[in-house]
Amino acid sequence: MKFLYLDHAATSPLRESVWDAMRIAEDLGYGNPAGSHTLSRNAKNIIEESREVIAKSVGAIPSEIIFTSGGTESDNWCLKVPFYNKYPTRQDLVTSSIEHEAVLNSAEWVEGNGFSVEYVRPSNNGKVQVNEFCKKIQDSTSVASLMWGNNETGVIQPIHEIGKKLNSNNDLIFHSDVVQGYVSKKIDFYKANVKSGAISAHKVGGPKGIGAMFLHSEYKLSSFFHGGKQELDRRAGTVNVMGVAGFAAAVREQQHRFDDEVDAMLNERNRLEEILSQEEGIVIIGKDEERLPHISNIQFNGNNSENLLVYLDLEGVGVSRGSACASGAQKPSHVLISMGIDKVSAESHLRISFGWSTKKGDGEKGAKKILEAVKETR
Amino acid sequence: MKILVAMSGGVDSSVTAGLLKNSGHEVIGVTMKLWEGENGEMPTTGCCTALDSEDARKVASKLDIPYYVLDYTASFSTSVVENFVQMYSEGLTPNPCVECNRKVKFDHFIDQSKKLGCEKVATGHYAKIVIGEYGHELHRSDYLPKDQSYVLHMLSSEKLEKVLFPLGTLSKPEVRKIAAELGLDTAFKKDSQDICFVGENDYRSFVDKRVDLGSPGKIINTKGHTLGVHGGIHKFTVGQRRGLPGGQGDPLFVLEIDPLTGNVIVGNKQDLLRDVFYLDEVSFVNGFTSDDLLVQIRYNAKPLPCEVDEVERGVYKVLLSEPTTGISPGQFGVLYSGSRLVGGGRIVKNKVSEVSIV
Repeated sequence: MKFLYLDHAATSPLRESVWDAMRIAEDLGYGNPAGSHTLSRNAKNIIEESREVIAKSVGAIPSEIIFTSGGTESDNWCLKVPFYNKYPTRQDLVTSSIEHEAVLNSAEWVEGNGFSVEYVRPSNNGKVQVNEFCKKIQDSTSVASLMWGNNETGVIQPIHEIGKKLNSNNDLIFHSDVVQGYVSKKIDFYKANVKSGAISAHKVGGPKGIGAMFLHSEYKLSSFFHGGKQELDRRAGTVNVMGVAGFAAAVREQQHRFDDEVDAMLNERNRLEEILSQEEGIVIIGKDEERLPHISNIQFNGNNSENLLVYLDLEGVGVSRGSACASGAQKPSHVLISMGIDKVSAESHLRISFGWSTKKGDGEKGAKKILEAVKETR
Repeated sequence: MKILVAMSGGVDSSVTAGLLKNSGHEVIGVTMKLWEGENGEMPTTGCCTALDSEDARKVASKLDIPYYVLDYTASFSTSVVENFVQMYSEGLTPNPCVECNRKVKFDHFIDQSKKLGCEKVATGHYAKIVIGEYGHELHRSDYLPKDQSYVLHMLSSEKLEKVLFPLGTLSKPEVRKIAAELGLDTAFKKDSQDICFVGENDYRSFVDKRVDLGSPGKIINTKGHTLGVHGGIHKFTVGQRRGLPGGQGDPLFVLEIDPLTGNVIVGNKQDLLRDVFYLDEVSFVNGFTSDDLLVQIRYNAKPLPCEVDEVERGVYKVLLSEPTTGISPGQFGVLYSGSRLVGGGRIVKNKVSEVSIV
């Protein structure tokens, strides 16, 4: 039985070109990129060429891209490091209540260290309101963090509008977790006036365990890891050359095929939602808002997500409830609860997500299986 | 047959899954997440910990069966934990494993198995289901030291039709041997003993944290003399010696706990002897079907010959042929005819017994 993968927002399969790029990187550049012989230079060249690819994809200059272990590390760095100094001049953090755990739990750490944190809630449609967010930002705010597009509902957040308003506040770091946004939206950090960002390779067909932080050239953040002077003395540790090469290969292909791939995701998602909408008791979350084309979050009244997930898995369909959870059983989503959805309803949701390898017909196939699961497990 | 198997990460449920898989069934493994920390993480002590579910996952992977951790915390919290605390605060001695089997494992779980298209559920309990004269009968396991039929007494014949206990004819050493033969890492894992949600902590402090038990009460002897004070009735259970004042000649035992006055009544061992008690919420596996009855008043207690008589709807009087100690209200009295489990109910005190004795 061929597995129908509808969980690209959790992670995506490796692109064929990524396999090749990683093999070539290790063949030609297995030297330590910080060394000075030929094989080290080869490795260093691979890293710097890759950095250019990533920078170009988000409208940044190469020196503004620092390779990290992924979105989580990048978020941790940008949110926590400004508060590492015991008496920072700016003492507040503003974020939203619908962020990924990488941001939320970093914010909790900041709060636990005695700083003030504001969690701005979205309106019922899942979108944080510009004024609500901006009015929490004071002269004392050090970091304001808002995700580009939500990882559970796909609802796109008003980054550009907020960026415009914050333009005059020069010392503030406006951070955005673009891990999901990057999958199906063109990102330009400069246009959005975003000063730092978190990017991950594995959501766009690259390998897991590699990502990047964007940090605007006018800003400086102390190191999060201490050790060697890699990455212009900003992140210690031997660079994951193979991962970086794979990341760049994935992004190169993604950027090249961007419009076609996103059209395919959108078509399949629309088809899936169209079929499911005909059934009673099914609510598409954030339907009236602009959403990331690859994510659909659906409430199935009278069903339980766990039963739906197990049923679908046994039938060879992979979906999820929301963000991936290491411990197995999950709690109702903090995103849905923040949107004012009650606990029982929040336990009747599925996140269905598409990606670069989505094929024509996947939306329809998925919808039919989901309807079967809804009937059998209700 | 498609079977949903409850896997705790212990050797018994691992072998249960293995045996069913090897006899050609389509097996799906499930760990019920019953209890959790404040942030929704799996607990780290007691049974059902994150490490246990990791063991279950490994076994499922070895057996090549699908495996899921499912959230049972809501029903466990209301049916078992709240009940546990409530009963202690009423001076009763709860049996959370029975409550868990009754309300969580064999209700919610069977219901879920049907939704997932399974014909049966299976667990690693040591008990036997025999199709006999009375339909689906529940029997003691062949290996008596591990027999768990006591905690399964509430399963009706109708429920038993949906259940498999593949370990009922095996001994614990045999189960461990099979686990080793199947190459399962759980083969030599230690058995869990604690009340799963209390873990290594004392159950008294667990109860303390969750309920306000008001002012301390008095310790009174059978003649009505006050011998001392105590810190809360949840610290006592009928038959207990610990925590009572000494220097009274014979050692003292708790005879009765009165939740209304907060008094704990104590006496000597002789005073604990009873030959009559009452059961309420009585259920039968296949209806009331025997006259050569034995009653078991605790898990692992010796079964005692008795006669029973219905005194009001669902309430039975149990008359023992010889008096015994350790009859604790809140525990269960389970009736057997030979190895066949007939039924059982909760041991009650005062309110029913006083009325009925008159």
